[in-house]
Amino acid sequence: MSVAQWARISNDAFNVAMFGYVGAMVGYFYYLAFRREIVWRVASTVTWIALGAHVVSVLSRGMAADRVPWGNLYEYSSMLALLIVAAYLVIVEWRYKVKSIGGFVLALVVLTMAVAVSFLYVGPAPLVPALNSYWIKIHVVAAIVGSSLLALGGGVLTGLYLYQDRSERRRDELAASGMPPIAGGATDLDVQSGDGAAPHDLVADELEPASGPRRGGLLPPASTLDRLAYRTIAFAFPIWTFAVIAGAIWAQEAWGRYWGWDPKETWSFIVWVVYAGYLHARATAGWKGRRAATIALIGFAALLVNYYVVNTVVSGLHSYSGV
Amino acid sequence: MASAPASETPPPLRRSVAMVWRSLRSMRTALILLLILALVSVAGSFVPQIPNSPLRVARDFQEHPLRSRIFDALGLFDVFGSWWFTLVYSLLLVSLGACLIPRTRAIVRNLRSRPQPARELDTFRHYAEVQVPHAPQRAAEQAQKLLRRRWFRVSRPQGQASVAADKGLAREFGSLLFHWSFFLVMIGIVIGKGTGFTGFAAITEGQCWVEAAANYDGNLRTGRYFGGNHTGAQICVDSFSDTYRTSGIPMDFVTRASLTSGDGVTTTTHDIRLNDPGSIDGLNLYQFAFGWAPEIEVRLGDRVIADGPIQFERNPAPEGVSELAVPWHGALRLPTTEPQRGVQFDLWPSFAAYLAFLETGEPTTMMTAPDHPVLNFSVYEGDLAAELAPRFSEIDARGLREESRGAVGQGQIVSLQTGRVLDGERLDRARADEELTMSFTGIRQYTVLQVSRDRGLWIMLAAAILILVGLIPALYTSRRKVWVRADPDGRGSVLKVGGFALQRTTQFEEEFARLVRDLERATGGGDPSGPDRSETDRVGAR
Ligand code: HEM
Repeated sequence: MSVAQWARISNDAFNVAMFGYVGAMVGYFYYLAFRREIVWRVASTVTWIALGAHVVSVLSRGMAADRVPWGNLYEYSSMLALLIVAAYLVIVEWRYKVKSIGGFVLALVVLTMAVAVSFLYVGPAPLVPALNSYWIKIHVVAAIVGSSLLALGGGVLTGLYLYQDRSERRRDELAASGMPPIAGGATDLDVQSGDGAAPHDLVADELEPASGPRRGGLLPPASTLDRLAYRTIAFAFPIWTFAVIAGAIWAQEAWGRYWGWDPKETWSFIVWVVYAGYLHARATAGWKGRRAATIALIGFAALLVNYYVVNTVVSGLHSYSGV
Repeated sequence: MASAPASETPPPLRRSVAMVWRSLRSMRTALILLLILALVSVAGSFVPQIPNSPLRVARDFQEHPLRSRIFDALGLFDVFGSWWFTLVYSLLLVSLGACLIPRTRAIVRNLRSRPQPARELDTFRHYAEVQVPHAPQRAAEQAQKLLRRRWFRVSRPQGQASVAADKGLAREFGSLLFHWSFFLVMIGIVIGKGTGFTGFAAITEGQCWVEAAANYDGNLRTGRYFGGNHTGAQICVDSFSDTYRTSGIPMDFVTRASLTSGDGVTTTTHDIRLNDPGSIDGLNLYQFAFGWAPEIEVRLGDRVIADGPIQFERNPAPEGVSELAVPWHGALRLPTTEPQRGVQFDLWPSFAAYLAFLETGEPTTMMTAPDHPVLNFSVYEGDLAAELAPRFSEIDARGLREESRGAVGQGQIVSLQTGRVLDGERLDRARADEELTMSFTGIRQYTVLQVSRDRGLWIMLAAAILILVGLIPALYTSRRKVWVRADPDGRGSVLKVGGFALQRTTQFEEEFARLVRDLERATGGGDPSGPDRSETDRVGAR
């Protein structure tokens, strides 16, 4: 098959994947609002199928360009979106069996892909010599895998945790002010759990009320989201560390110095330091919970800067890897 | 001092030192320092940095002099070399040391000691009881065996029917390894940068270059502890080639070189390209840049007074103009004394582009292979003392008289006195008249190699590996403790099992349940009378 044909297959599959994700996103949100199990099943299945199409898109892109399919910002974005979906399916749905947050993840994914096709698209082309090294396989893959996990854990999951934590607090306050704890009544169990004696997730599961919204709202309990976010970030951190180290080794080989505070290097370092701060915050009295989560969100913001701003606006040695 | 009575309040100085030390040791300080480090780095990425982009900083100084002077005073143009950046990471390292020393002592103590027994087992987060048909001693022994098999560290005080066990020291061990490695990183940087150097060697095709301080033409930066011993290694460049795709995108830059060690013993050949450095005598050689070197021969009458390739530099491209559209410049100082003379050149690698420029004044992109190259030149006479540097490409024309100017194509000969092209009879006459003539005989390329020595690389690599190796157990394992006590109960005994995990508590819940089940099986017991009071995640797993 010719280059043009492979490129067309890649672009078509990309569109199939993107619209698949959009459909699945709507399904997930519908499930979040109305708890129709069947809708969730369909959404999940569509996500898997779209992921398949996405894999086809990336592979055929590689065939078209006759090299690894992650050589410019458009391709990075596509890979990133693909890996976020994969990480979501494996970690959130399969490993931790959390169902209700798929819509938010796919919203981020669709946004990433939409930005990629509308602003960053370039046709398949060979690599510039500076990128032509086996390190592109090691360093870039680690960076994209790390980024996707950080986007999932430090972005979506942490954001949802902060939201859910606030609404739980508010509900606890309302309950506490509206009803004396010992007076009993339909909601007193909620109140008792409000002091942190029992984890919210247990209570929420056991107290599925016959009618009305669940106590914790539509999302999973904050403690579950917090733990999930932490696990994901803790998974990502060594991968990101490795990516930075591999980048340093590559820089030594290509430019004769392992570290030069090039903007890309600087921002990768910032992301790394912020997440090291997050891991510390989780172990520091008074910083656990909301504060730590805020640090994780800052890390996610740094990741976005590293990705979009540094690659397109700031000039440096890395900028030829850009659009 | 010695006779002073032991007082409750230590002297104020010592107290405040202790206080500073304590706050340095606190996790919050480390956390805040890390966040400050991140914040400081942000500044270094948005303000242009002198080491990375000196030209942009110079432009900033021209365009915004006041702002630039303020930035400069604050060190914002060299954030990563500024005193406050140094201060932040130094504080972080001190804090790190302050944290690690007690933690390291504690783990050494812990390794030497045995797991400590506990009394009230049923107060632990996880607790279970197992009915066993054996006497307490025997049951405890079985529990001990089982725990050992599960890689627990087990202690059982002599003659007692109770066992204390723990597992997961790898977490703390990994964490310590990870954190200590940052000191190794610092050592690697100090040794590598301190004793090393980086310089640039510009070598024309067909020529050789010897590694010595003078031959870097001023392009050499040495570390503070560099002893000055250069290697004397020789780099001979057989050829350089730059290849491009038809779209103009660069494809490859290669310097084919033979490298001879300083003692002259070994010679190797290497194709130095981006991502494929060469090395000799502990030096690394990187492809850095390249340029044109026209071959020029100057004669006074029949006598050749200057001959060889001259390395030209690329003119800075004006805003919005491709680098490939601008000519190159170079200069030559003639070995004549009365008067002193110098020639300033502009090289147009393509004749067509030169013509187009003459006609329209617009730059056109030149192909990267030379195509009937043209040299524009001006001959100056006067005091050329300033142009004595071994490598210069521009004559400062102030105070000099322009004697002639002209253009010469490859293969042509010109008179330096009139600037006119000479051939046939006129050339013979010029030679006979002892005129200065110059011929543009050919064109070569030169390559610029970055030459550097960094003896800290292996230390850095080792530190990087240790960081990763330490990180895995530090993040993914957990410390957990288990106690088992066998109390007599009827004809057999009852095994009381308590335990908790410091991290990953949800996972431990399952592990604990499995452990209790296995204990039952191993002791032939069963019918646990105590309900497993394990609770999920009371504190929130980390
Ligand atoms: C060079 C700066 C530092 C970096 C990059 C860093 C990074 C990290 C990372 C990534 C972790 C999580 C992995 C682990 O548990 O080992 C961690 C944990 C930890 N760090 Fe640091 N750290 C630094 C400095 C410090 C300092 C100055 C202290 C002293 C307060 C400290 C104390 C700790 C402790 C006690 C833990 C274990 C927390 C836990 O149990 O999860 N670190 N650090």
